[in-house]
Formats: sequence, C-alpha cells, structure tokens
Amino acid sequence: MNLHFLGPSLLVGLLAAVLPTWLHRIGRKRARPFPFPAMELLLGADRQVAARRRLREVLLLVTRTLLAAAIPLAIARPFAWVRSEIPQTSALPQTAVVLIDDSASMSRSPGLAQSPLFERARTQALRLVSSFAPESEVALVLASEGTTTPLAELSNDRNRAIAALSTAHGSFRRADFRSALARAAQIADTGGQRDRHIYLFTDLQRSGWEEVDPTTAARDVPVNMADVSNGALWENHAVVDLVTEPTPDSGVGGVATTAEIANYAATPVQGLGLTFRLDDEDIARTTVDVPAGGRVRKRILHPLPPGRGHVIQAMLDKDRFPADDSRLARLDVARGIKVLLVNGDPRTVRNEDEVFFVEAALRASGSLFTPEILAPDDLARRPLGDVNAVVLANVGALPEEGARKLVAFVQGGGGLLIGVGDHVDPEVTNRQLGAILPQPFGAPRTASAQPGAGREGETIDERPAERLLPISLDRRHALLTNLPDGEGLTSSRFFRYLLLQPTAEGAERAVVLRYESGAPALIEGEAGRGRVLVLTTSLDREWTDLPIRPGFLPLMQEAMRYLAGAPSSDARASLLVGQRRSLPVTADEKRLEIRSPSGQVYVLTPDAPPPGKHAVREGDRTPRLVPFDRTDEPGTYRVRGVHEDGSVVERPGDTFVVNLDPRESDPARLAPDKRPDAASRGPGGAPGAVRRFELWHVIGAILVGLLVAESLLSVRWPRRWPRPTELWLKLVAPRAPGGSP
Amino acid sequence: MADAHRLSHDVAPGKLGLDPAALARLASLPLRARVIVQGATAGMHHNPHAGSSIEFAEHKEYAPGDDIRHIDWKAVARVGRYYIKRFEDDNEMRTYLLLDASASMGFGRKGVSKLTYATYLCAAFGHLLGLQGDAAGLLVFDQEIRRTLPPRTRPGHMRDLFAALEAAFPAGRTGLERALSQVAEVADKKSLVLIFSDLLDAPATLASRLRQVRSHGHDVVLFHLLDPEEIELPYDDLLHFEGVEPGDERRLLADPAELRAAFRKESLAFRARWQGTCREGRIEYRFASTDRPPSDVLREFLFARQRHFTGVAGAAR
Repeated sequence: MNLHFLGPSLLVGLLAAVLPTWLHRIGRKRARPFPFPAMELLLGADRQVAARRRLREVLLLVTRTLLAAAIPLAIARPFAWVRSEIPQTSALPQTAVVLIDDSASMSRSPGLAQSPLFERARTQALRLVSSFAPESEVALVLASEGTTTPLAELSNDRNRAIAALSTAHGSFRRADFRSALARAAQIADTGGQRDRHIYLFTDLQRSGWEEVDPTTAARDVPVNMADVSNGALWENHAVVDLVTEPTPDSGVGGVATTAEIANYAATPVQGLGLTFRLDDEDIARTTVDVPAGGRVRKRILHPLPPGRGHVIQAMLDKDRFPADDSRLARLDVARGIKVLLVNGDPRTVRNEDEVFFVEAALRASGSLFTPEILAPDDLARRPLGDVNAVVLANVGALPEEGARKLVAFVQGGGGLLIGVGDHVDPEVTNRQLGAILPQPFGAPRTASAQPGAGREGETIDERPAERLLPISLDRRHALLTNLPDGEGLTSSRFFRYLLLQPTAEGAERAVVLRYESGAPALIEGEAGRGRVLVLTTSLDREWTDLPIRPGFLPLMQEAMRYLAGAPSSDARASLLVGQRRSLPVTADEKRLEIRSPSGQVYVLTPDAPPPGKHAVREGDRTPRLVPFDRTDEPGTYRVRGVHEDGSVVERPGDTFVVNLDPRESDPARLAPDKRPDAASRGPGGAPGAVRRFELWHVIGAILVGLLVAESLLSVRWPRRWPRPTELWLKLVAPRAPGGSP
Repeated sequence: MADAHRLSHDVAPGKLGLDPAALARLASLPLRARVIVQGATAGMHHNPHAGSSIEFAEHKEYAPGDDIRHIDWKAVARVGRYYIKRFEDDNEMRTYLLLDASASMGFGRKGVSKLTYATYLCAAFGHLLGLQGDAAGLLVFDQEIRRTLPPRTRPGHMRDLFAALEAAFPAGRTGLERALSQVAEVADKKSLVLIFSDLLDAPATLASRLRQVRSHGHDVVLFHLLDPEEIELPYDDLLHFEGVEPGDERRLLADPAELRAAFRKESLAFRARWQGTCREGRIEYRFASTDRPPSDVLREFLFARQRHFTGVAGAAR
C-alpha cells in the first residue's frame, strides 16, 4: 500500500511532534527549588506512585506527540491506492448493468465458516451500487443458463436495484455468459448515460465461458470484472456420471450401476467414501482412490425391486461444494420398444445397407429396442399396432396405402424418423407425408465431395464439408439431454443434405440441430398426437460420416425413446438442472402435482389443446404432454395425478431426478486472455481494480481517540470512588438550609 | 506542675485561645505565654490544699543545676564531696522543656514556624509552672545542646527562660538523643520531661532512648509538631523538593498533586508509628498541627492530666 498526500507541503507541520517533548523538558527546568523538611515522607510517597506516575508520563508524552503529529497528517489528506474487491467505478453518473454469476459453483463456500461465493458477490454488488453517483441507472442480470432477469429495465431508483439484489438468490444451473453478457449489453444500450458499464461478479470458473468471444462478448460496453473467489484455488471432487443398465446375466431384475468420480484437485485423493443408496436405503459403501486430475468408475451389481420409480443415488464424502458430491439416476428400464426400420436402399454388403448403422445402434442397447427391418412395399401389409416408432431410411415413393397408414400411425401417437438420401424425391414425399412433415422438403445441397467418392477424371470438389453448429446443441432439449459428449456430434462431417422449404407453421416445429450454414440438420415436429423427426442427411455413410461418430448411437437411441413416447425410461427421467421435463396427462386427470426435493408442490394444469393438434377426440385415452420447467433443485421429483373425481394417484413411473451439470464441478479458471476485460487489465494481466482509500478520516478518528486518551490520562482519578451518600453530603448537604458546614 | 492535677474545670476543652498568627502579633513572649495560659485555664481554679511534707529521703551527688540550698554541708564535712538532700513527697516538681531547634523546625510558610510554635508552648508551660511555684528548666538543642537552663524557682529565672526561648533559632540537624541523655544525667528525681520536636529524620534508636528516660521514673511527654503543609502537601506546581537540614542532599522533582494522596498516607502512618512507639513506652504522645491555637494544645494536655490523676486518686481510695 503506497501512501500519497493531497497536500504534501502541509507535512512540514509534523515538526510539531517534537513540541510535547520540548515542553516537557522546559517544564522540568522551570520547576523551582522548594526546601521541604518532610523529605522522607515525600520520598516514601513517591515510591508508592513512581511506577504508575512514570507510565502515565510516558503515555501522556506519547499521546501528545501523536496528537501533534496527527493534526498536520490529517490536514495533508493522506490516501492510498488499494486493491478493491469491487470493480473500479466512476464518480460520474453512468449506466450500469450488474451481472452476477448465480451458477451452481457460486454456491460453494471458499473456506470454513465463510459465506457462499454468491453471498459475497451480492454483498460486493450492493456496495458497488451504493457507490454509484445518484443519477446512475442500474439493472441487474443473472448469469445462469435460462434464468430470469431480476431487474431488466434500467432504473434510477437505487432502492429498487438494492431490493432486486437483496432478493436475488443463487441457482444450481450452469453459467451461460454468452447469453448473459449479450443480455447485459442489450440492456446497457438502452441507457441514457454516456458512460456505460457492465459489472460482472463471478468466481471466474471456466465453465460457461466456452462460447464467449472476449472481444465481442458485450459489444462495445466495457466489462468490469470482480473475482469474488479472490483467485483462491479450489480443489473439488464430484460424482460426474451415474449410469444404470440392465444385467440379465445377474438374474431377474439385475441392474448394474456405474458411478464416475472425478478428482479436480492437484493431489490424488485416497479412501474417498462412496455410498450407493437405492430408494433412500444404503445398499453399498465403498472407498475410491482417484488420481490427481483423473477419474475413476465404480460399478456395483444389485437387484432391482419390483415396482417402478426407483431412484439410485451415489454419494461422496462431502467437500466444500456438496452440491456435486451426489448424483441420482432413475432405475426403471423400459424394455421392448418396437422400431420398424423401412429400408429404402437395401444392400447385400451389410455395412453399406441403409439401415445397418441404425439397427446396430438400437441393438447395442440390449433388450431395450426390438428393431424390425421392412421393405417400403411391405409397409401397407404390416400392422402397426405393436410398433412404437418407424424409421424411413432413404425411402423414395411409398405405396399410397402405406403412406396413408403411416400418416394415420403418426397422428395416432406414433413416432417417425425420416432419414433422406439419393432415393428420396422431395416432391413425392411432400405429397405423401405432407400432413405429418414438420417442414416440406426442398432441393438437396452438396457441401463438398465425399472423400473417395469421386470417379477418375471427375473434378474434385475441394470445399470443406459441412459441420454442425456447436451452439445449436441445445442440451435442454430432451433428445440431447443424455448425450454424454457433444463432441460426438460436432465432429461429424456432412457432405450433402436436404434443404427444407419455408413453412408458416412454426409453432409445432423445433430445430434440434443446425449446420454451420444455418440450415436445419435435425428438426422435430408434432403431428396429431405423434412426433416426427427429420434428419436432413442420410442414415448411412452416403451423405455423411455421422453414423461412424460416437454421437450417432446415443442420438439414435434417444430419438427412438423420444418418438416411442417413453418418458418414463431411465434416460428421460434423469435431467440436468434447468432442463424441461414433459409429463403425460391422461384424459382422466385434472392436474398433476409435482413435489420437489425441498417439498414444494407445483401444480400443472394442462391447457386445452389447440385446434387440429392434440385434439382430444371422444373416447381418446391418449395422454397429452405437459412441460415442467421448475427443475431448479437437484434431487428427486415425485409426480401424482389428481383425477376429475378428486382422487389422487401416485405415479412412480413418472418420478424423475435432476442432477447438477457436471461442468459446474470443474474448478478450472478462465484464462486471463479470455476475459472480456483482458484489454483493460494490461499486458501483464495485473489486477486493474484499485480504488483510492482515504485515510484522513481514519486519522481523524485516531485524533479523537487520542484526545479522549489524553483527557483521561490528564485526569487524576480518585483511588476510591465516593459512595452516593458521600456525594450527596458533598454536593447537596452544604447548600441545604440550616445545614452545618 | 505538681499542682496540675489539682485543677478542676467548668468548661470543656475547645478553641478558646488565640491562633498562632494572632499570638505572633503580641508584643513579647511573656505576654504570649500569659495569654496562652489564660486561654487554657479559663474556667479552671486552683486546689487550695498544698503539700508540705519535707521528710528526708536520700542523698544525691551534686550536679550542675542543683539548688545549692539543699547541699548537706555536714556530709561535705564528713566525706569531702557535695551531696544534695532529697525529701519524700516533695510538692515541688521539676520540669524539663526540651526544645528541638534544628533547621527542619524552622519550616512554616503561612503561619508561624514549628520552632516559633514550640517556643509559645514552652513559654506557656514555663509561665504556668512559675505561677504554681514549680521549677522549669530548658534545653535548646539541635545536634548539639545549644542552651541549658536548669529548673529554678528563684526570681528572675522565668525571665532567663523567656530570653533563652526568644533567642532560639532553627539550625543544624536534629539530635534529640543527646538532649535526652543530658536530662537523664541531671534529673535527680522524678521529673516531667516535655519534648517539642517534629521528629523528622529522627534515628531509629530514639524510641529506645525515650523508653530509657521513662524507665528512670520521669514523666515524659512528647509534643509532636508538624506544619499543616507537612500533612496535606497542598501545592499544585511542579516543584523541585530538597531537604532543609545541613548535609541532606535528597532531591525530588515531582508534581505534588500526583503525590498528595500517597503523602497523606505516609504522614498519617508516620504519626501513627510514633504514637504506637510512645504507647509501648508509656510515654504521653501529643500531636499538634501548628495551625491550632497553642492554648488548645495546653488545655487538652491539662485536662488529660487532670483526668489521669483523678483516676489514679480514685483508684487509691
């Protein structure tokens, strides 16, 4: 801390500090000689009080010296530049958007008996807002994914901002700084002040910054960042995955549960306690050794009790971030999803067959899916009553009867996945399946030549292949929720795909995946009570290498679960915080009640279905799906239906669990060059948040204290305080009329 | 003084006389003595019965100061040495006034000095004794015996005593032991020894010397005189205190206000110590602050004596 002065010339007054010593010496010299006979008594008295007197004299001299020095020191207005917890701010009126990281990692406490980081961030933000000039406009934005904005409009009302800050609370969601900064910049742009700032309070965890370009994150609004963790390293271990799978070999109802434990510390952890609980009862207790920065898997085999809605939990010994020390999984394993694979391009070489990769992906799940391959011409003859989903793989024209049957199947609640290819004629398909297609097919587009596909003498198309747009991976979508790794999809190359025609009906259509060009790669649509997924490229390797990428297998399995309407399956019933859960409501049910892990009950009342869609026909018992978004707490959510007659029916099969996004467990910090304020921090990356700390008022307080001390030291206190009666006699009695002197 | 126990009183002791400062304004020491005695004996009257026994008791070798009228000339003729005849129940009582005239007794800033105050008391005692026909002697001393007046009843003795008192001046160091030794040597029968001193810087052996004198049968009364400033230390300014007696090199720079409370305690303990010492040695202790009227001191002494002798006579009956 460097000391500075506004008026350094006034420090000459420090010479006054020698005055008390000088006066003391002068006073001693000026004492006159006094002959006194009772020296023995005097010296005896002096021996009694000498120690106390000397101490008092020294203290008085020190106090007076400090007093004499403090006065010129205070007048010289000393100050120091100190590191500030809160970002440096201007004294001028400004437009300020306070952005607080409320993600799950902010709920951890940095040390014993310390408040969570979010509380620290809130406190610092309150101090910052209180320091703004009166005319400043303030808004408040939270950084977690999908969260609401507490104070979206800039306000001059300081109390409103403080109230919004005071009521804000942390979440268990993942941080999404790209959206948050964009939102903050958008709000800041509406401000009336010339000076605009975004003040960001975060723990600088790298997670949440992956898609942020530091140079353009907040457009032209400067971002002032405050690291509420003070740069402290954070060692964490977490359960990052919990997978259950049926193991018929271990008997009827046998299940294998595998927990993946990650150690994010720089030192290995040994003997870390791990407990498995099934339906709130411990079933296994073990310890794990995890290398530094590594992961280990622990697998247990156990029987699954009869009934539905079982929940298994893997729990680690608690650390300072307990939210990720536990993970839940639903254990109901759906079996026997019947999938009809309509092969539009059968081949004799198996791996060149159109449905080879789809069939292999479905069969890899064991007994979950039962795929059946069918030629397009046989579709009309095949009853679809036992079929849950149909896959059209590069199918050209269908027999008219088959097409009508397929449309009826979908509108009656069935699922359909369409993969295209060279055999698909957009016009024919649009005509035959237009009633159920989310969007009409357009012309095919070739992005680049497929490697090895060019013939001799042909001009090679050297353009790069199309890839999926990473940010289009909306992990909140039920299809992508359980994909273990987004890389498995984004590494795929697409050489040719089908463009889609514009459509006016966008409400029931959703783009799940996009290409880098912006064209839809996978779209979802509702048709009647069923669902249709359209992959605008092939299901074999003819137009893409997606089938040989790691993401293909889980994508196909999830797609079939999704289309088969198997919401109670284990995969669909395990969500991440903030993800949407669609719950079926039967025609008998008036509403659903969902009890959160903390005991709060949410009521879901299905709206009347729109005309033409979800129309409940007379006698139709097909359930409707109702979205539930309040998945803010990790834990088990239990569902029960309330019927029209008032009866309440527990629905264990719809029990679902919500887990923390494992990326929030990674304590890796954001690199300095990735920070949006990297430019303002200078090349050395030195912390820029400093503020002027005025010291004159501190010295003033010391001055007052010294004055009081000097007064107390100067007063000669009686050795014994007079009793009240003595005081009365001394003060009042002499004045009383007739009182004796 | 032998008739002191014959006094009776009609009034209680109190401040009846003039204070020392007022006394100082009077013209001469005899007058002051008379005023003090009048103030002290106001309301008292003499016992009309006087003792007259002159039965021979013993011989005592002559010493300077003895009345030559009592020399046994027959014994001189027989043995060639001078002897004094002594008698039982002799009503004439000899009193020795021991006046400390050391430098410390000259202290007294606002009123009279301790020495002046002591001379007033000595003069008053001399006058009273003279009125009763008793012999009063005087020893003025510092570390040496400066002046000695043997007890006499002859005419003119009182004049000599007043003159000696008026001539006393403060100087030198206190030497009370020497004066007591002198008294022990010259006092040939039970005498009354009145000591006037501030006892400051008195040696530790003084107490035993006092008890020694008392053991010879003398009636010893110690008048402890202190100036009010030696009790209260009423100063405010920073002072450089220094000793007053020759050879006293002690110095102390102090703020009196800081020392006042402790000094009072020391002063009180000093007096209590001497009071206890006197009580153990059956010596009468009288403390007198020099701002009190001397007649009050004299009166209290006389009343105390009267009570004492009345009590002794009652016990004998």
